Amino acid sequence: MRFIVKQNGCGSERIGRLTGFFKFPGAVIETPTSALFTQGGSVVHLTSDVLSRVFSSPKLLWVPLSNSIQLENGVKVQNDGVAKFAGLPGHVACATLNNLSEVTPSGHFEPNKVPLWTKNGKKMLSANRYMDVMEVFKPDIILAIADGRTALNEGSKRVSKAVNRTSQMLNECVDRYKAAKELQNSTLVGVIVGAANPKKIDECVQNVLKHVDTLGGIALEGITDGTVESMDLNIKTLNEVFEKVGNAIPKNLFHIIEGCWNPTVILSAIEYGWDVFDGSYPVKLTNAGIALKLSFDVTKDNDTMYLLDMVDQRYKEDFTPILEDCECLACKKHTRAYIRHLLNTREMLASVLLSIHNLHHFDQMFFYIRKHIASNTFAIFKQHITKQCEMLKTFAPDRYKGLNEAIDKQTFQKNKKIRVSEVLSSGLVSNNCT
Amino acid sequence: MGGTSKALSFTVQSECPTSRARAGIMKLPHYNVKTPVFMPVGTQGTMKGLLPDQLENLDCEIILGNTYHLGNRPGVDVLKKAGGLHKFMNWKRALLTDSGGFQMVSLLKLAEITEEGVKFRSPYDNSEIMLTPEKSIEIQNYIGADIIMQLDDVVQTTFQDYDRIKVATERTSRWLDRCLKAHKRPDDQNIFPIVQGLLNPELRRQSAQEHMTKDVNGFAIGGLSGGEAKDDFWPMVSLGTKILDKHKPRYLMGVGLAIDLVVCVALGVDMFDCVFPTRTARFGCALVNKGQLNLKQKQYQTDLNPIDKNCDCATCENYTRAYLHCIVSVETVACHLISVHNIAFQMRLMRTMRENIENGTFPKFVKDFFCEVYPDNNFPNWIVNSLHSVGINIINT
Ligand SMILES: [Zn+2]
Ligand SMILES: [Zn+2]
Repeated sequence: MRFIVKQNGCGSERIGRLTGFFKFPGAVIETPTSALFTQGGSVVHLTSDVLSRVFSSPKLLWVPLSNSIQLENGVKVQNDGVAKFAGLPGHVACATLNNLSEVTPSGHFEPNKVPLWTKNGKKMLSANRYMDVMEVFKPDIILAIADGRTALNEGSKRVSKAVNRTSQMLNECVDRYKAAKELQNSTLVGVIVGAANPKKIDECVQNVLKHVDTLGGIALEGITDGTVESMDLNIKTLNEVFEKVGNAIPKNLFHIIEGCWNPTVILSAIEYGWDVFDGSYPVKLTNAGIALKLSFDVTKDNDTMYLLDMVDQRYKEDFTPILEDCECLACKKHTRAYIRHLLNTREMLASVLLSIHNLHHFDQMFFYIRKHIASNTFAIFKQHITKQCEMLKTFAPDRYKGLNEAIDKQTFQKNKKIRVSEVLSSGLVSNNCT
Repeated sequence: MGGTSKALSFTVQSECPTSRARAGIMKLPHYNVKTPVFMPVGTQGTMKGLLPDQLENLDCEIILGNTYHLGNRPGVDVLKKAGGLHKFMNWKRALLTDSGGFQMVSLLKLAEITEEGVKFRSPYDNSEIMLTPEKSIEIQNYIGADIIMQLDDVVQTTFQDYDRIKVATERTSRWLDRCLKAHKRPDDQNIFPIVQGLLNPELRRQSAQEHMTKDVNGFAIGGLSGGEAKDDFWPMVSLGTKILDKHKPRYLMGVGLAIDLVVCVALGVDMFDCVFPTRTARFGCALVNKGQLNLKQKQYQTDLNPIDKNCDCATCENYTRAYLHCIVSVETVACHLISVHNIAFQMRLMRTMRENIENGTFPKFVKDFFCEVYPDNNFPNWIVNSLHSVGINIINT
């Protein structure tokens, strides 16, 4: 696989292309982009048939090992890679260790091993074992194994260990990568961790740079440990990290940011030259019953909420689509009232329709990002989106919260998914963009 | 031929020269449905996570909704404002709704049946509600399905008390009259009466004959598939199809297992519904000719075959048993994938039967089918007997 920078914007933002994939020499994925987040190898809630009704071109699949390791035996027997095994042979896969937006127990480290939290419990993974799985999964892009689950307020001892462990494991991954013929069709990505400590992150960057000839890209972890508190960050603090690491890494490598960041954070990262995001944000919204509804037209002010709580009773008799003029199948064929009914009755089609819209709309955001970079108007677009995100703060969260309670209480007592009130108080929305 | 009002016209296109099986076309306001037909059940205005587009691709021509559930959520007001269930869920083909009575009696312990209707306590706010025949039809008129069902007096199939069964059967006929009288949309909705009488041939005959005198476009056979012995089940179906007007469609309620479908098509049934194919998908069970595969079982861990090599559904085209094994009961996608296959299986079985009826090869199809299901020819007696009663002998092949 190759990464080519096609065009630079006014700042560090850039348009790039991922091409030359082993199985799809002709496929092109333009950056900045978001991957499609997968669980058990499948795009969450969507079968390959339905996915093909949303996207007609190859997409990047984000495959965390923590939710897909159970596929190993089957993928091995089929011997054609994880995407093919999961029924998505038309897409390219990017594999990583953990789902960074999931809360897992802390601690549990051994020398040169990191814990993998699966639904069947903890597995301790060495770099070697990780690369064994990669040889089986044959993803187009491999993020090196890393100890990246530390928040920005993490103690320096823990951060220090994380950086040392990550560097050591990267060295092992690189050795394995160079030695194995099977891995030559994949691109290896170095992971940078330890953002909580300026000295240690420099050390981590230096180690990654040692392998710059082998690596095709870099990924940034070590900002959040997956908890919502750890994601509730000041955008300035985040920007410092994005800028510092972005500048330290050669521009010819593609830049990945992991984690469930809201549009404000994503646009900021892009401004500092980051290219690829993991796609967990729209999935989290879908699972919370929320529809994403940004306005992309910079000539018009959007004074409506950019998140719709589709469980809300106000949509009970609303026979309009989630978003007027949206080209997705959910908006073209179904109404807010129907989706609200499906959520209210806990029917699975609710998640399917919300996924279709949220994935399409999120993808559209990246389409407009690239468009504005191309026409040197990225700053205007960024401001347009940021303004919409900030508006949520001026609406009292109670305006959303209270209205839910009238609805069939039992339904929601059983509902373990996060609710809007929690989303509002988390890094998912724009609390962190001041 | 056909009914008296234009909301339904039924044409038998081919008849099996041996058995009572027939293939036809049932023209409904929203779709021309080919019979015999299986109707998947989409209780709350949706089918197990599948898009209406997917159901169309699967060749579903008519699906079923449950009045009781829909009346509660989204509720009559919303459905009324949406312009009916078709528009609310964006389903362009035919719909059938039940009366709501069965759900009430089976779901709610506190239901009490009187001549007026079914009295029960709302599980939502504990208030007392009376579902009368008029009320059931009123709700179904708002839902707007092509075929709607009369409210019937439901008694557990294995119930023994003759007097109660007799009351229920006769009351069902009286309630039919009230339903027909209350019906506000006879031009685009059809009420089907329900033949009752449980396992009592005399009561069933009376019920069927009584219904035959009414101005209706089709009939349902109810009160079966409730845990009774198969030896008791099939003679009641056979009795129904023998008496009921052969120019009108016959709907056997709650039946959908493959072997039952084949036998009952041979007995002359045109329409079926059952929650089983989609419900069993949820538990990782995929339907195949020989029965079902429980994909959770370890033996599928490295099985790279599709569920069924001869199936052309999107699941069998793209996914292996090994992959499904990894995700069943973990990912919602697994449930969608197996539902797609299971509905495809039901649709293919019905299509194959129609083709064989049209080609005059239905008896041979039936023999081959049961020889595949029972490879050592250990046919259950009820299957041998029921098929024998319509001239198909599966034993001496
Ligand atoms: Zn949409
Ligand atoms: Zn299939």
